[in-house]
Amino acid sequence: MRKRWYVLLSLVLVFSLTLVGCGSKPSSSPATENNAQQGDGGTDSTTPESSDQPETGYIKAKQPELVPEAAKKRTDTIVIGMDSPKGVFNPWFYKTAYDGYVVDMIFEGLGKVGKDGLVEPDLATWEMKNDNKTFIFHLDPNAKFSDGTPVTAEDAAFSFYIFLDPSYDGLTDMSIAKIVGADAYKNGNATTIEGIKVLDEHTLQVDVEEVNALTIRYLTVPVLPKHYYGKEFKKGDLSGVKKLNEQPLGSGPYVFEKFVPSQEVRLKANENYWRGNPPKVQNLIVKATNDETKLQMLQTGETDFEEGISVNRDNLDQIDAMGFLDRNMLLNNGYGYIALNHAHEPLNDRLVRQALMYGLNREEVVYAYSQGLAEVIDVPISKVSWAYPDEKDIIHYNYDPEKAKQLLDEAGWKLGNDGYRYKDGKKLTLHFTASSPNPVNDALVPIAKENYKDLGIDFIAEQLDFNAMVQKMEKGDYDMAFLAVSLTPDPDPSQHFHSNGADAKQVFHYSNPEVDKLIEAGIKELDQAKRKEIYQQLFKLLNEDVPYIVMYQRYNMNVISSRLKGFEGEITPFYNFVNALPNVEIVQY
Amino acid sequence: MFQYIIRRLMESVPTIIGASIVIFLAFSLAPGDVITANYTGGMNLTEERKAELRELYGLNKPLPERYGLWMGHVLQGDFGQSYLYNKPVTDVIKTFVWNSFLLSATVLVLQWMLALVIGVFSAVRQYSLFDSLVTVLVFVAMSLPSFFLGLLLLKLFAVDYRIFPLGGMTSTGVDYQGLQHILDVAYHMALPVLTLTLLSIGGTTRYFRMTMLEVVRQDYIRTARAKGLKERVVIFKHALRNALLPLITLFALELPGLFAGAIITERIFNWPGIGRVTLDGLYQRDYPLMMGFTLIIAFLTILANILADVLYGVADPRVRHR
Repeated sequence: MRKRWYVLLSLVLVFSLTLVGCGSKPSSSPATENNAQQGDGGTDSTTPESSDQPETGYIKAKQPELVPEAAKKRTDTIVIGMDSPKGVFNPWFYKTAYDGYVVDMIFEGLGKVGKDGLVEPDLATWEMKNDNKTFIFHLDPNAKFSDGTPVTAEDAAFSFYIFLDPSYDGLTDMSIAKIVGADAYKNGNATTIEGIKVLDEHTLQVDVEEVNALTIRYLTVPVLPKHYYGKEFKKGDLSGVKKLNEQPLGSGPYVFEKFVPSQEVRLKANENYWRGNPPKVQNLIVKATNDETKLQMLQTGETDFEEGISVNRDNLDQIDAMGFLDRNMLLNNGYGYIALNHAHEPLNDRLVRQALMYGLNREEVVYAYSQGLAEVIDVPISKVSWAYPDEKDIIHYNYDPEKAKQLLDEAGWKLGNDGYRYKDGKKLTLHFTASSPNPVNDALVPIAKENYKDLGIDFIAEQLDFNAMVQKMEKGDYDMAFLAVSLTPDPDPSQHFHSNGADAKQVFHYSNPEVDKLIEAGIKELDQAKRKEIYQQLFKLLNEDVPYIVMYQRYNMNVISSRLKGFEGEITPFYNFVNALPNVEIVQY
Repeated sequence: MFQYIIRRLMESVPTIIGASIVIFLAFSLAPGDVITANYTGGMNLTEERKAELRELYGLNKPLPERYGLWMGHVLQGDFGQSYLYNKPVTDVIKTFVWNSFLLSATVLVLQWMLALVIGVFSAVRQYSLFDSLVTVLVFVAMSLPSFFLGLLLLKLFAVDYRIFPLGGMTSTGVDYQGLQHILDVAYHMALPVLTLTLLSIGGTTRYFRMTMLEVVRQDYIRTARAKGLKERVVIFKHALRNALLPLITLFALELPGLFAGAIITERIFNWPGIGRVTLDGLYQRDYPLMMGFTLIIAFLTILANILADVLYGVADPRVRHR
């Protein structure tokens, strides 16, 4: 009797274990800012369901009447789901994109980035004088903070004192703007910044030592009320300013109401909005969500909008199946690439680099990683940037092992008897440093190994934690490594490709005088049309020179309950959904 | 006894110093720092700015000096500024640790009460149907990964049948007060508590069963039965109290865990606990936050050890501390 029980029990046990085995799926990697490759979690390289290009842009829901009851009940409240902001609601100090969204709801700046990625006037308009070395900002005389006090030039000037404070540790590096007297203030004893002059209540003058196309991006600072943030400000001690991070006060369309850490941020329409058109929906709640339940939150109606749902087939199918969700899928302003260490032979040889490009089946890698939901690129710039060169001018490095072999032969790497290539007795070996966990590396490493073996290259991969990989790269102890980069709205690629750029110099060891010349010309040029011409040339050259192996550009996706109207056409890769929020309305079905 | 406690506390000073050195080295020698962690954050971090930030954070100083500075501040109760949250580490920990504590403490109470009942019964009826069934169920629950169990419960009770919320700690957009607030939190706690209890109950049940089995075979239990005592009295008064002795240590050592947070469960249920915060901190190389938090947990662990020894002495007259 007892024995029979054991048999039965063990069967039950085995059965339940199998169930567990089937049900468990790999938990997605924790979303952190450094994992720029985040999202697109699945690497499920099953048979393609459809090889068509995915439908991008704004796709409307087919059955808007299916909006869940829970959501319909909120007649004057929009709930936005996103990863939890950290509570640094201050344009000077925030670090995560999520704090950034909240900052955008509450604050305004002298200027802002427009839909096409160019800087546009916001709180102020400006003119340039004195050989373009003097910027005069005219603040809108009607502008008011949400507490009713006017926005003045004094407030705008205060921003520069924060950015140039010796103890400032935020993301903005104002020293790049080369404001007159900035260095004397930051590293010296000066108590004022010489180049920042308040001319009258609404006019601010900023003098710079030299001007370039990026200067205006730095000078259009966020404007915060000095009477509020400046109370405890002392040069060299910003702790009094940081204390107010969780009680923000700005001039934007929304006013801050309450922050519950890791749960929600509550905002209200700014009834005194100085532009005269307060947001149409009274309440706005930013709710913390996570990758595991983002879609379910929309499904049950707990949220109306989700900032970032990973673009993969599963999620797209689920969204379409729910019927009442609009989705807006746009190319990410950034790309994935395999960094090459030009300090190591033979990666300093353009022919070899081109061979590595032709000889790697990038389409297959990108497909395996994204199920066809990312675009293979050949140029190190976003396809949506105005600097992207004409398609017909660039080399498309489609997979071509024969061409790759030919290029390697040409470069002097001859096939040996053991199937590997040799030059001057040296074997062609490449060490690949793979950060883990990373779905791209999971797809890339096996394919690259096989492709490169086929060319006669010994490709050796090693797995490391992301930070360990970066450290190794900074020491120059690598040949190749996969990374992803997020780009600024401006296409200037100095950091990566100019001989003196931080990454080019320290990590890639890349230097090309011709590239340097074009980059310098591109930054110097203030005329947008001429600048565009220079960048077209530059990126054509980079396309040919292959400073690293560009891989793909993925998508970002906002998912929107169809009860919200007003986002369509208002979001671009440079211009996020927050800009559209004040005009969004709730519609009932 | 008082003297004993004082002596143990004194003895733990070198331990805590040693622990602080290990913690400091583990984090400072790990590859990367907060600046490399932000490497792909943008293309506008120049080499000069990197050096400037390292200088500002004191990351370019030699290790012994950095340790000295850190410890000096810690002794004054200042754990430094969290890079990620831009505010003092103690504030960050205070914000999140009590949420984790609430969750873990509830789970601990439930887990031990249920384990006691189940463990005792399955020991008393060893090899019975009840015992076998419990054994199987307990092992199944134990072997489930927490994210799977959590997501399964969410799908069942929050999506298919919308009985419980999909996560979070309070209802969105409302400020309940008093009793309503307590009920709201309890409602949100149900699923994460269920998940964590199911996951942890297995081990504890096995401990109870094992110690009970050992005790019920002792001579004094036979004596008690021979005296004609009721079975209930024998089990709960004579056997259980003795069986609990070895579990005191186990219980005391679970106490620091109350403050450590449950990383995966908190994440899945969007619970605003310290577990998620520390995971983020680790990825972003937020040293001050990580070192401060780990040090506190190390300190609590040492205290719990002392507590376990003291309690053991109180409960068991055979072990007396002098």
